[in-house]
Amino acid sequence: MTRAENSLAVCERCGKAHRWTLLEPGETARCTRCQAVLGRGHRLGIETILALTVTALVVFGVASSTDVLTVSLGSAHVATTLPGAVLAAWQDDERLIAIATAATALVAPALFIALRLYVLVPLALGKVPAGFGWCVRALHQAGRWSMIEVLTIGGLLSLVRLAALADASPGPAMFALGLLTLLFAAIESAGLRHLWWYVP
Amino acid sequence: MQDAPEPPLLGCDSCGLVSLVDPGRPLPLGAQLRCERCHHALRSEKPQSVQRTWACVIAAAVLYIPANALPVMRTTSGFENGEHTLLGGIHELWLDGAWGLAMIVFIASIAVPVLKIAALALLAWSVRKAPRWRRLERARLFRLIEVVGHWSMLDVYVVVLLGACVRFGSLASAHPAPGLLAFAAVVVLTLFAAHSFDPRLIWRDPPPHG
Repeated sequence: MTRAENSLAVCERCGKAHRWTLLEPGETARCTRCQAVLGRGHRLGIETILALTVTALVVFGVASSTDVLTVSLGSAHVATTLPGAVLAAWQDDERLIAIATAATALVAPALFIALRLYVLVPLALGKVPAGFGWCVRALHQAGRWSMIEVLTIGGLLSLVRLAALADASPGPAMFALGLLTLLFAAIESAGLRHLWWYVP
Repeated sequence: MQDAPEPPLLGCDSCGLVSLVDPGRPLPLGAQLRCERCHHALRSEKPQSVQRTWACVIAAAVLYIPANALPVMRTTSGFENGEHTLLGGIHELWLDGAWGLAMIVFIASIAVPVLKIAALALLAWSVRKAPRWRRLERARLFRLIEVVGHWSMLDVYVVVLLGACVRFGSLASAHPAPGLLAFAAVVVLTLFAAHSFDPRLIWRDPPPHG
């Protein structure tokens, strides 16, 4: 087995080999057989992605520590944070539901941000962090299982369902989730493959 | 991009580096090709992809029945106890006049899981039984499933959030009910099924008989 020349790319969706040419920013290369995206010319550099990831860290801090929803019924008020909602499901004896929610709404997004910072900070300084390959594979999984955008719509939908019953209003975390959806989309648009280009 | 000839080139699933595999030198039994750059296993297809996909799809299809038949949420308001199924919740939204929302929830909770189970079954079946049939459309179908897949978690989040903030004792309260667990399992199983399926199989020609 030998390393093939760097100017080749194999479509990960169908296995067809292509000759690789450098792409202009904004340009998209598609597989000639299955039309899956082979690669994109990136508009965002590694510093930009790093800046977006730091922003996402702050916004995630807000999203996971402040109230998502506040409900008032008469003189009683109930507010819930995201970890609070997971805890409530756990206490209702729906443990698997609590685990599934925590994994997709808290753990996967947290790893999405934390592992990216661990990888991007050394790369921006021209070093390669220990366990780089493992981290990139873990990042792929974290991106797959992070469902922030679904949670955002779920929060809005809950708000509408509650409005019929009581006086409900969105908390700071709801706005943070909306912002986080956009940030994650921007960060993910850069993909993970290009990280390997910085590795000697 | 131009077509390259079809030598035994394998792309690394993890880092994308292309390796040239020498077909003249078979690997010793039990050995594993590894990517030179990231040391990830180099494979031409995921191991037991079709079997794993079938296992997850069948389990999801079975659990889909209790997910729809059992209530996903129990509510108390005043002296009334209510049980809500997935379809019941959509019906309530529709009666309230929130047609747009009813459509969104219908697509996320009913249409997407059914579409995913049917499409993954079709993909897994066609790899073996109709390998040359509409390959491009099947490849596109798989990409569509991957994009829409996780939206079915929507109802799970809604019930968890409602259960956490509707806590006014006997006046009004909401709790998750057993159907929700079955539904969440359907969603997670279809995600696993999609992750197990290897789209490269769509393009593989069957071995000649004889």
